[in-house]
Amino acid sequence: MNNLLLFIFRYSAFLLFVLLEMVALFFIVRYNEDQHAIFLNSSSVFSGKMYKMADNAYKYGHLKVVADSLAHENAKLKTDLFNMERTFQHYSVAEKPIDSCILEPYKIISASVINNSINQRNNHFTIDRGSRDGIRNGMGVISPHGIAGIVDEVGDQYSTAISVLHSAARISASIKRNNFFGSLVWKEINPAYMILEAIPRQADILVGDTIITSGYSFIYPRGIFIGTVNRFWTEGGSNYYSIEVKLQEDISRLDRVYVVDYKEAQPVDQ
Amino acid sequence: MNRETLKHIIRGILFLIVQVLIFKRISSGSQWLWVYADIFIYPIIILLLPIRMARQYVIIIGFLLGMFIDMFYDTVGVHAFALTAMAYARGIILASIEPRGGYQLTMSPTRNSMGINWLLAYTALCLIVHVFLYFTAEIFTFVYIGKILIKTVLTFLLSMMAIMGYHLLFNPRK
Repeated sequence: MNNLLLFIFRYSAFLLFVLLEMVALFFIVRYNEDQHAIFLNSSSVFSGKMYKMADNAYKYGHLKVVADSLAHENAKLKTDLFNMERTFQHYSVAEKPIDSCILEPYKIISASVINNSINQRNNHFTIDRGSRDGIRNGMGVISPHGIAGIVDEVGDQYSTAISVLHSAARISASIKRNNFFGSLVWKEINPAYMILEAIPRQADILVGDTIITSGYSFIYPRGIFIGTVNRFWTEGGSNYYSIEVKLQEDISRLDRVYVVDYKEAQPVDQ
Repeated sequence: MNRETLKHIIRGILFLIVQVLIFKRISSGSQWLWVYADIFIYPIIILLLPIRMARQYVIIIGFLLGMFIDMFYDTVGVHAFALTAMAYARGIILASIEPRGGYQLTMSPTRNSMGINWLLAYTALCLIVHVFLYFTAEIFTFVYIGKILIKTVLTFLLSMMAIMGYHLLFNPRK
């Protein structure tokens, strides 16, 4: 007994080291098994608040750029809206939909990214909207130039979303020109590119083709511009193309984003 | 709590703030660094602890600091794993580069007290343990081994520059 106590005393630093390393390893392994390890997530109030404060300070630096890009986006939306109304004017009165017939399945919630990562294998970002603003799990997050991610964990004031640069993100996307669709995944190589998989070989693809969201899921509406085809190839013997898509949005500079609330969404697995 | 302890705590908090609010942003937000490297300045908190501090305390502080950093990097356990190991390795490294005649009571791990050569060896050895184990722990999720090695080397160099920069600019006595 005495010897045991002496042993523990003499090697206590080493034993403590081994014990704490095992705790840390347990956390690492557990976290990788289970993506919903909430306990140290940045939607927690403490780090959320701190990031928010720091972000406020950083944002002063490029307020003008943000304002310009928002103005551009406004101009584009106004163009679309006016064109739409002009198109409607060409219909005869009988065919024209009355106001109450216009479907409103989507509601867009604007949000601001307060924390973002792109250099890990599974990237997340935090937005400054939470359940009290109507954010729910599984909503899509889009950005001015493309798609950004999917809401993953919702806090009261902040939420965390998995970025499109995440191994679990599979986005249903299609080629605009011929409607072939597949799923868009990230291969951990470069945050500017994603791979569109499962496009059959009979599809004709050109470098520069536009890739948009397919609308075959409840996450994103149809037709959001994602990026363009950079190059494509077939893995040996496969019947499907792998297409490298250059993202329009620079994920490392996410700032203003929009959360898509699709009111008819069923709680199904993505 | 005496003045020295208080000074260590305040300085530590400042390093943590610099790490999570500035260096984290540099590595995850800029166009030319994101590919391969991070900058870690927070290991300096462990490096600056008094030489004669009990190893058990150093290890516990390392673990807690690592968990705190993990909270901000969303990497549960990875920083804690690396920093705990570094805290343990610090004892061995201190013993292996002990100057002739042992450490005096008044000595602290700074340039002022131990000289630049000792400080370089001490910082480099501890930091390489930390950075290498950090990326090894990340291997759980990482497939590209070559990229890990490049990341290790670049992160080591950048972190080394940050830590030695602090020593050269501020020249802390304790």
